[in-house]
Amino acid sequence: MSAEIWAIVIGMGVANYAIRLTPVAALSRVEIPGVVRRWLSYVPVSVLAAIVANEILLPRGEWIVPWDNPYLVAAIPTAATYWWTKSFIGTTLLGIVYFLGARALLG
Amino acid sequence: MDTDGASKHHATHGFAQGLKSGLPIFLGYLPVGAAFGVVSRAAGFSVLQAASCSALALAGAGQFIGLSLYESGATVLAVLVASSVVNLRYVLFGATLVPMMRGIGMPAQAGLAFFLTDETYAVNVLELRSARATAASMLGVGLIAWSGWVLGTTVGAVAGSAIGDPSRWGLQYAMPAMFTALLVGLVEDRSHVVTAAIAAAFTLLFAATLPGNWYLVLAALAAATVATVVFE
Repeated sequence: MSAEIWAIVIGMGVANYAIRLTPVAALSRVEIPGVVRRWLSYVPVSVLAAIVANEILLPRGEWIVPWDNPYLVAAIPTAATYWWTKSFIGTTLLGIVYFLGARALLG
Repeated sequence: MDTDGASKHHATHGFAQGLKSGLPIFLGYLPVGAAFGVVSRAAGFSVLQAASCSALALAGAGQFIGLSLYESGATVLAVLVASSVVNLRYVLFGATLVPMMRGIGMPAQAGLAFFLTDETYAVNVLELRSARATAASMLGVGLIAWSGWVLGTTVGAVAGSAIGDPSRWGLQYAMPAMFTALLVGLVEDRSHVVTAAIAAAFTLLFAATLPGNWYLVLAALAAATVATVVFE
């Protein structure tokens, strides 16, 4: 367990530095092609959407019918809260409140 | 001697200026870092592991994503790939910064690259454009941002030990809520909305059909590829 976590901690450090170093090491000589540039611009949205789908549609790895799923029900006001407030922390805290409410309602 | 003293003074001044420019980042990172500290403790990290993760990776969403996959039982490699993929955008950021940093030597650039985040990028680009940024000022921005992230994580991890059973407080929803907020914040136009929907659909499809825990990474990469082809 602990060794696995250390591998993640160190691996994440190495991987992130490698990503950040790439343009310094490779650039001014090589121009990033437009198609790669566009692909990179879509990656964050894709990753976050995949993560959100996994977290709220398949909580703990299991599909829950949408109207019985407090994770999904709470995500709707959570998204609206961020849209209006642009507050990251406020949205996270309110999201937890919405989830507790949804869980109480749906049993 | 005189010029040496003057440039040293100049560097000190630049560093202090960088710390000042980066102070809002410090304040912004504290609570998010604290959130990472709390949820990483709940996922089984020690305080030292949580703090080391933030100190070495300085990866914001990437760290939360890695944690989310680790909790869902993914292999170490899948965790690392997922958490790195979302930070591939730093290649783009770096690519726009490097041409603006001609006056700064390669070793200094390599050192400063460690501190590249969304927020330090925004501050440094602004100061590079107005020709106020130096290696020293960028180091100041980076170090203060890093301090906020690591300090926040440590405080959160220590506090997290005192919270007890996280599900009683609905804390298992901290990460989904955070990711939902991040996703909403990332969406800029209709092409992003469609991309997000495709990624969600691929996630469900691949989760049901592919063995193992790679479905999430594959769904994200497939959706980005489809978007690149469709939105010419």
